Amino acid sequence: MFRLTCRVAWASLVRRRTRSIVVVMMIAVSLWGLFTMEGIYGGMTEQMINSAIRSDSGHISIFAEGYRLDPDLSRQVNNVAKIESQLVHAPHVSSYVKRLKQDGLVATAHYSRGVSIIGVNLLAEEKHGKLQGYIFKGEFSFGRKDRGAIIGFKLARKLHVRIGSKIILSAQDSHGEVSSVSLRVTGVLKTYNMALDENAVFLAEKKARELLAVEEGVSQLAIILHNDSQVAELQQKLRSLFPSLEILRWDELYPALLQSRVMMDGFNLIASLLVFCVAALGIFGVMLVSVLERLREFGIMLAIGTRFSQIRNIVFVESFFLGFIGCGFGSLFGAGTLYFFKVKGLDLSLFSDAFDEFGMDAVIYAIIRPSYFITAFVAVSFATFLSVLIPLRVLKKSKPIEAINQV
Amino acid sequence: MNTFLTIKHIGKTFQPDKEVEVVALRDINLDIERGAFVVLSGPSGSGKTTLLNIIGGLDDATAGEVILDGKLLTGLSEVELSGIRRDHIGFVFQAYNLIPVLTVKENIEYIMKLQGRSQQECDVRCLEVTQKLDIDMLLGKLPNQLSGGQQQRVAVARAVAATPKLILADEPTANLDSKTAESLMNLMQRLNEEEGVTIIFSSHDPLVIAKAKHSIILKDGKVIADERTG
Ligand SMILES: Nc1ncnc2c1ncn2[C@@H]1O[C@H](COP(=O)(O)OP(=O)(O)O)[C@@H](O)[C@H]1O
Ligand SMILES: [Mg+2]
Repeated sequence: MFRLTCRVAWASLVRRRTRSIVVVMMIAVSLWGLFTMEGIYGGMTEQMINSAIRSDSGHISIFAEGYRLDPDLSRQVNNVAKIESQLVHAPHVSSYVKRLKQDGLVATAHYSRGVSIIGVNLLAEEKHGKLQGYIFKGEFSFGRKDRGAIIGFKLARKLHVRIGSKIILSAQDSHGEVSSVSLRVTGVLKTYNMALDENAVFLAEKKARELLAVEEGVSQLAIILHNDSQVAELQQKLRSLFPSLEILRWDELYPALLQSRVMMDGFNLIASLLVFCVAALGIFGVMLVSVLERLREFGIMLAIGTRFSQIRNIVFVESFFLGFIGCGFGSLFGAGTLYFFKVKGLDLSLFSDAFDEFGMDAVIYAIIRPSYFITAFVAVSFATFLSVLIPLRVLKKSKPIEAINQV
Repeated sequence: MNTFLTIKHIGKTFQPDKEVEVVALRDINLDIERGAFVVLSGPSGSGKTTLLNIIGGLDDATAGEVILDGKLLTGLSEVELSGIRRDHIGFVFQAYNLIPVLTVKENIEYIMKLQGRSQQECDVRCLEVTQKLDIDMLLGKLPNQLSGGQQQRVAVARAVAATPKLILADEPTANLDSKTAESLMNLMQRLNEEEGVTIIFSSHDPLVIAKAKHSIILKDGKVIADERTG
């Protein structure tokens, strides 16, 4: 019986081929658009989150109490060894880095700007956040004798410096004295973390300790975990071990990024609703017309012993065919497109260079999440189901058997 | 006499509007034997279609009862009637009987499938019936590829293939030319004899009417003649 139902439903769709194809395409194209937007917007958001985590916050950052409100050299994490011994043994920790930070001033012969001076260990940063991947010009090195500096690309632009240019870095050291060091730019970074691109001057940790007269303490310990589902757990553990330190997750440090993830979810929901409406209206229109033109056909079927419930099933199956074929094509196109943009990336700088200004990566690598397809499938399923309820009511009310004699 | 179908005091009044009443049938009483070949004739509007619809459970009578093979059909639920139509009654309408999206073979097998018969059973029966009706070369065609006469034969084949006790045919030849009409009637007559199925058909074509062995004439919703010949 089910086969017969499917056979009649399928044959009816094929008979009204053009109409069926139009609805299927409507659903497929709107889903395709939905998936493409979701994947690219998602990729954009995750890329921003990812670059903030890699270049700065890690999944978790540890600071001295009060440092974030008043980032002064006097507020340092001093019991580094004790923390490290915990991190080394924590099973979820993938890597961590120590950074020494101080606000200061950078000057060239012509320009000067306030900057954030960050003393780092490049080897550790390489392993930790693959910071070398953000090198835009020059190399990921401080050169011989650590006389180099790696600076953000916007800062480089504003200072009009190139690789090899000389810069003077000055800051207040831990004794309250102004101290300075002369460095040459060895690399320029483009992290798409706006704060870094505009303000950061990275120099070797050793040089930074000399400049700032700090022997041991660090300003920040950034930790990356193997799996971001363990972040909250580790944060709790560290907090209980080190109650006097400020231990914050990336989303607490970059609330705007979390916000954009929440916004993305909202956007996806609205887009799914739109697709739901497109699918529901498309199927509704086609099925209503189709039911009305087949009154006599259904009348004959009822007369010769088909039950109304069997006719109803035919109508449902037709609707599901339309919805699921549309959904299938949409998913196929969508997955294909997203896969392409996942591998090749989508270069938005072709359209505008405003992305740089917003601190967004101009090349977006799409992401593909099963949830995109599951949500769409659920939306289309509901649409196919709901859209035939009215046509079925109309069918029942118009008494198809009476249509037999109205030749 | 082996009464197969009894129609007792059947009346039908249509009420298309609140104020309008159309009396289509008044106090119809008929007895039809098992295996009969019955014609309902009478002028247009005399109530033939209405009576056939009531016998077949497609419409409710306003009064009276229909007893088919000992079973009272009056007052049964829609689902029960649907089951009786599927298992015991075959229908042939004036035109466009077939499900347009299914092939001839699928159309003929349709009711058997509803009855839950196996594909093998359907194949055998389909072949048997289509050979009798001389349409076995049309099995793969779609209804719109057939002539009117061929379509009616397929409709008869579908009705008879499901081995009903009764076939109701409402003006099955009305849309056919007289030669085609006659050959369809000959085939129906043969099926009536060979398969033993009771057939009631309506017509106002004298040539067709002459084929019947039991002739009922309606006028203004009343039986004005009920004669058995042969
Ligand atoms: N659905 C209906 N509503 C109102 N009147 C109807 C309806 N069906 C049939 N009638 C009327 O009932 C009478 C009998 O019709 P019908 O059974 O179709 O006659 P026949 O088939 O002999 O031509 C006619 O007067 C017709 O107008
Ligand atoms: Mg009629």
